[in-house]
Amino acid sequence: MTRVLVVTGAGGVGKTTLSAALAVGAARNGLRTCVITVDPARRLANALGIDSLTNHPAPVTAQPGLSAAMLDVTAAWEAMVHRHADPDVADRLLTNPFFRALADRFPAAQAYAAGEQMAEHIESHRWDLLVVDTPPAGGGLDFYRAPGQVREVVGGRLLKWLTGAGLPGRRALFRITARPALRIADTVLGGPLLEEIAEFLMDLRSLYDGLSARARSIERHLQRAESIVVTTAEPTPLREARRFFDELQDVTGRPSTVVFNKQLPEDWSVSRNLRSPGLAPEVRSAARDNLARWASEVHLQRDIKREFAARYRLHLVDVPWAADPPTSVDALARLLNLSPELAEYAH
Amino acid sequence: MIDSRMIDWRMVFVSGKGGVGKSAITASLALSEARRGGRVLVIGMVESIGAASHLSAQPLGYEPRRVRPGIDALAVNRSDALDEYLRLQLPVPKAAPTRVLTRALSVLAETAPGVREIVTIGKPVYEMWRSNYDLVLVDAPPLGQLFSYLRAPSTIAELVPAGPIRAQAERMSAALGDPEAAALIIVTTPDELPVRETQELLGQIEAEPVIRLAGVVANRVLPDLSLTDTEIDTLPSGPHQDAARHHHEVYTRQQRWLNELPDGPRLPYLFGIHTAGEVGEKLADVWEEVSW
Repeated sequence: MTRVLVVTGAGGVGKTTLSAALAVGAARNGLRTCVITVDPARRLANALGIDSLTNHPAPVTAQPGLSAAMLDVTAAWEAMVHRHADPDVADRLLTNPFFRALADRFPAAQAYAAGEQMAEHIESHRWDLLVVDTPPAGGGLDFYRAPGQVREVVGGRLLKWLTGAGLPGRRALFRITARPALRIADTVLGGPLLEEIAEFLMDLRSLYDGLSARARSIERHLQRAESIVVTTAEPTPLREARRFFDELQDVTGRPSTVVFNKQLPEDWSVSRNLRSPGLAPEVRSAARDNLARWASEVHLQRDIKREFAARYRLHLVDVPWAADPPTSVDALARLLNLSPELAEYAH
Repeated sequence: MIDSRMIDWRMVFVSGKGGVGKSAITASLALSEARRGGRVLVIGMVESIGAASHLSAQPLGYEPRRVRPGIDALAVNRSDALDEYLRLQLPVPKAAPTRVLTRALSVLAETAPGVREIVTIGKPVYEMWRSNYDLVLVDAPPLGQLFSYLRAPSTIAELVPAGPIRAQAERMSAALGDPEAAALIIVTTPDELPVRETQELLGQIEAEPVIRLAGVVANRVLPDLSLTDTEIDTLPSGPHQDAARHHHEVYTRQQRWLNELPDGPRLPYLFGIHTAGEVGEKLADVWEEVSW
């Protein structure tokens, strides 16, 4: 049985780094571990030895027991289409510009691809622990909502808009009311677009049965997964984290732990004298002013966390602010050790 | 007074990777322009909170609303934008069946590349055309999505051979690309991922100059501690030394990333201030002093 740890949060909070740190920690604890990352910083990717974008987990040379993959959304969607569509429909879809546009821009497409990869790695039964770094869209909400949204789009929501009623079969679409309406629209808007789009949507709909079953199993995996939300005390990530808990009340796997990254030491907030006889006056005043500045940040972080914990009744875990991002598996392991509570998840 | 190199256009887009403070900076630019007597319209292009949260406690609607003296604001929502695009921007024949067209256009916007983007980016351009604000300031989509919006007119031109959608796209393209009318500000922080994304977009704009660049703003830049490593070592161990070392390390790393950016305004890290309203005001004060 594979344990799954889903790490969500806004962009830029250190989610990918912490996912990697958890994975390194778990591998060092003897678990066969795989981490799926999304868009890691170059030096982190180098540290994990994943220079090329691929959905297939590759062993991390520097860390026995650990494999890493990097989400490739396009390849994931191609594989899904081949799995769920007849060969000729699959070819039509994959060369269709509308399909590529949909997969490129639809925010749920990336999130769904990540969920699909998660399911695949769980079902391979190769791992004791799977750490899933999630796409930042929607502050992590998209990851949980994507299976439902994709089911809706593929299932014909757009097609219903076009035909204005129930879903017709392929031939019926062009016989009944739809065709003249599409013709009028095309004439007015200036291209043979809508007829092509209708054809495309019919093809897309043939994926529905397979994709829909798959989406349900992704949802089941998500319900069983453990989940960690990462944020910092900065306004944008916090807003996303609040949204996450405000809007995601119905999900069974609702996380109970929030990791506050980039936290400053509490003892910086206590004002104290700088006693040291031999110190040059300008050095003394620079050091004092500097600590005062950072102390105001510590106060702010404390207030923000207190309010957050009270409002959502959550357990907060601090991870200290590391000035230099980790660039090796050893540095990742050290980062994890700075936060014993977070390190618990790697057992 | 704010350096005129940043906002002396009728329409200015402000973008940046998520979390770098683009909305706060949009708000501060609006406040600066209002302080020097300009009438500003702030448009939230993809989110109703964004810049608005720095200017007003109330969420924004599709119609401009006064949020501060001299500043109106609105948020684009897709269905209103689609409706307006169809009613006012597309010259469709009077006899055309509106209901069919609305539905068709909704599907187009969801499916065809560029349509959703042009409907959304059409709003600020349209406001620039029809209103008489001195400055239309746009809290634009995050950096990763921005180029597909700016490029939407060309995407559509490639898709539709002729007709009203294409004609409208061409007018839009001309407005965005007019160096006297419109410009883009990119906001970043001196960190690896935001700087790399900024460089990537700069490259795209250089290869395909869809809009003029007003400048790259580096946000949350730490001040120089003016202590050397050796001086920090002479401090007694404890919080003073730890904080000095931390500051010095972050500062050094920031300087490295700043060197990878084109010259532009550097805005300071605001210690201990995080509430949205304060940040906007404080940055507006900063604009009066900043020079580069």
